Parts: sequence; C-alpha cells; structure tokens
Amino acid sequence: MKSIKLMKGEFDESLNLLLAPGIKAGFPSPAGDYLRESLDFNRDLIRHPEATFYGLVEGDSMENAGINDGDIAVIDRSLEPQDGDVVVGYINGDFTVKFLDLSHRAEGYIELRPANPRYQPIRIDETDNFEVWGVVVWTIKNWKR
Amino acid sequence: MYGIVDCDNCYVSCERVFRPDLNGKPVVVLSNNDGCVVARSNEAKKLGIKAGMPYYQLAQQLPNEKIAVFSSNYELYGELTARVLEIIRQEAPAYFRYSIDECFVYFNSFDMHDGSTGLKGWGEQLYRRIRKSVGIPVSIGIAPTKTLAKTASHFAKKYPGYRHCCLIDTEEKRRKALKLYSIGEVWGIGRRYSARLEALGVKTAYDFAQKSESWVNATFNNIVIHRTWQELNGEDCVPNEELAKKKSICTSRSFNGMVTDIDTLKTHVANYAARCAEKLRQQGTVASVVAVFLYTNTFRQDLPQYWNFREQRLPMATDSTIDIVKAASQALQDIYIQGYHYKKAGVILMGIGPNSPVQLDLFDFNAEHFQKMKRLDAIIDRINKVNGTETIVLGSQQYSQKDGKGKADVFANAIKHDFRSKNPTTRWTDIIHLK
Repeated sequence: MKSIKLMKGEFDESLNLLLAPGIKAGFPSPAGDYLRESLDFNRDLIRHPEATFYGLVEGDSMENAGINDGDIAVIDRSLEPQDGDVVVGYINGDFTVKFLDLSHRAEGYIELRPANPRYQPIRIDETDNFEVWGVVVWTIKNWKR
Repeated sequence: MYGIVDCDNCYVSCERVFRPDLNGKPVVVLSNNDGCVVARSNEAKKLGIKAGMPYYQLAQQLPNEKIAVFSSNYELYGELTARVLEIIRQEAPAYFRYSIDECFVYFNSFDMHDGSTGLKGWGEQLYRRIRKSVGIPVSIGIAPTKTLAKTASHFAKKYPGYRHCCLIDTEEKRRKALKLYSIGEVWGIGRRYSARLEALGVKTAYDFAQKSESWVNATFNNIVIHRTWQELNGEDCVPNEELAKKKSICTSRSFNGMVTDIDTLKTHVANYAARCAEKLRQQGTVASVVAVFLYTNTFRQDLPQYWNFREQRLPMATDSTIDIVKAASQALQDIYIQGYHYKKAGVILMGIGPNSPVQLDLFDFNAEHFQKMKRLDAIIDRINKVNGTETIVLGSQQYSQKDGKGKADVFANAIKHDFRSKNPTTRWTDIIHLK
C-alpha cells in the first residue's frame, strides 16, 4: 500500500480569475459592439480630482461675469494662474472670487477685478499677505430651486 | 533605492490648507477629547510646546502667546492625505503607505535612467506638485535602505537648503548624515534601546553603524536592532512585507470625565470596536482576536486604582462590526468591577490577516449568517460614507438618553471637540465661501 502524503495548501493569496477574451456568457447583445461609457462630469470635467475643491459663491461682485450668489465654483489648485483667469484668492482672512489681472506686474502690483461696477478692483502688492488659492474652472448654477 | 514621503506636521498642515492666514503662526492640534497636543507647527515647537502636553497647561504656561488651537478632525486629515497619496501613486513607480502621513516609494535601476542624481529632481518636483495641488508641504528622503531614507527625510525637513528632498547616495553623504543624527532618532531604535546605547557611549547613528556586527549581536541579540545596524551601513534588509504587517489595530480614548457604570462603558467600548472593524474593512483584513483594556484615572491617587486587559478569541476571523462588538462587550464584562472610577478604555484587534479566504471554523460556521453580516456591514459602510460618519450605528453604540428627554447621543457627540474645523472636502455644507 502506498503511503499518503499530506500536502499543505497555500491559502494566503487570492487569485483573480479573468474571463478569457472572446468568451461571453449568455445571449450576446446586438448593441454590444456600440457600447460606450456614459458621460460623467466627474471623469470628464474634473481633470485633477486630487487638486479639486469646491466653493460657494457669496454676493454679487462677479454678477456681470455670470457668477452669482449661490453658485458652486469648481476650483483646481494645480493650474498655474494666468492673466484673465477667474481665481480664488485668499486675502485678509477671506476667500474671494475675482478676475486675475496681471497686466500691472511690471509696476509692482497685481489686481483682483470684480465684474460689477459697484465694486472696486483690489490692488495687491508685495506687502499684502495674499495668495492665489486656486483657479476656478467651472461654476455650477441651479435653475430649478 | 527607497524614498519616504512624509507630510510635514501633517495635521497642522491640513488645517492650514483652509486657513492660509495661519501660515507662519503657532498652531497646535489636540488629541481626541481635546486632551493634549498631538501636532505642532514649527512655530509652536519653537515656543517650547511639547507633543503630549495637556491642553489646560498650554494657557497656563504661555498666557501671552496667540496660539491657534484645533480639535483633531480626522475626516479632513484622512481626505487630504488620500489626495497626497494619489499624487504619489501617479508619480512613483511603486509605493506603500506606511502611516497616515508617511509613504514609502520604491525605485529599481530601470527607474533611474539618469542615475540616482535624477531622483533628487524627481523628489523636488513631487514636493512642488503636492504643495500646489493639495496645499500640504512634504519632506522626501531617498537612500539605498529604508532606514537611511528615513534619516534623509529628517534632513530634508530640517534644512531648507535641500529644497524638501534629501538624497543619500554616496558613502560620503551617508557618513556625514549619520554623524549628525542622534541615535534616539533612528527609525527602529525605540526609546528603551536608545537609552541603553547612549549609556554605552553610542550617541549618534554613526557611532552605532561603526560598531562591529559581533558587538551588536552580543549586546542586544535582537533581530530588529541588528537589521537597523545593517541598514545604517547601507545593506537593504527590512523586508517590504514588514511594513504591511500592521500587527494590531487599536482604538482607545480617555473619557470626558470618569465613568462608573457598565452600561456607559459598554457603549464606549462598542464604539471603539466598531471603529476598529471599520479600519479592518478599509484595509481589507480580518482579525481573530479582540482585546479590551480598562483603566482608572492614574492621576487620581486618592481614588482606588485598577486596570485590566482581556483577550477574546473570535470563533472565526472576521471584519464584521456586530461580531467584533459582541466579543469586545464580553471581554469588558469579564474585567469590569463595580465601584471604580474608570478614565480610559480601548479595543485592540490582533491576529490580523488578509480577508479571503478566511479560515473557517467548521463546527461553528453558519454560511447564511456570514453572508448576511457581510452584506449588512457593506451597507452600513456605504451609508456612513455617503451621509457622514455615524449616520448609522449599532444600538449598542448609542449612549443612553440624558434625563429621558433628549435624543440619544451618538459617539461623535459624546467626545469633546470644541475647536473642530469644518470639512470642506467631504461635506457640501462645509465648502469654503467665496466673497
């Protein structure tokens, strides 16, 4: 009689079985060849999820740019702010949304420009404690409250 | 080569992302329950504030300093560090998260097309990307061994000249770094061993690395110490699996005040157990032992003192909240003695392994129950993820109603967090306001 050898199994790793290509279960759908993934805002509009933050717009200082009280701003921190961008700045303890005007850089200052004649541009020079916190890439408006 | 990416004063840096006005100012973050200081900005360190300093001493000892104080907000720290990790994932050939604020990165020779010097540029670029995208500063150390990489990150943090990335890739740099590195700071050398080493005249990492192998073995006869010695000498030997081996998961807190009755204790312990189970599921592991410990207030020597610890082996390794809470309750019941004023309890999960396949207990296994528990936990986790922590809790996690009128408190409200910041990345109600 042969002796029986006991084998110890290895169970501490899991093995994922993949379906071999070309093998399909069930009845094939005639639309199968035309399938595309659905449009997805998160995937298609937010290019840098790890750098994306949201902000709630307060007030009417950007009214004429179509950015209104209650809108949600999608902010991308990874982008290098360019002249004319809508940016989120941090000044004197507040976040603010304005146009970035870099045209006076040679003269030693930059401006944050509102889009409403009732507001003055904010002039910022090196002595101010200021940073561009991020660049606004989209705003979201709710039309059906 | 190995790299370590380490978030500078992690919790403070997370708070500063939404409070840029606090850059350059002293900031501290308190432990759960606002007990003591767990994180300090460099400015707070300069004021002499030590880690672990009780909060009430802060105002006593520094009455004239303006210090920004935050309760810990792990929801925020977890989210922001996940973003840091995502950038590391995109930039690094291979990585392993070592703790909430540290991540190891692996390079092989293929990744280093322009030799190891290219790694310095890689590190500086990684710093800039994380700093800009997430707003958190990191320090990066790169070296041939994990222990030397940790050493390098210390220098990257300490000296601005390194531009946040320090590379130890030559014998000369290694010697120079180790000579300036005190033995107590070396990764893997605990406080106990560093005291012994110092008593033996070993003051710096260099002194230790210069000792002979036979001296190290004869003095300590300890594999971890031996490996640290090898690693300081440039020999890569801490296995990667070692980092993954989270030997235990622990949740423990000091109570807000003292607790005498078993029902309140059970509620606390149920919450700690539930938290541990959640952590298990997050890392995809299961535990086979649940332990509970219990302390009276050691600062109140006028009161009778008692402490105890009890392990409860689970019939089958699990990540189920209900099973783990049950076992923890049993262990607590076993050690609870009426009449003491308890100050602290905790739950530790041990015997942790990958969650599939679980070693099933053939005699006690109920497949239907097992599947039900799995489904239930998945649903609880999902609801809590979507609607905020502790939207759904087990009945045993609810604190009994105060004076019979108010709503029963859940755990989150029963712990003190007077200075907690908002959660602008996880709750729509908390997003920043733009004027």
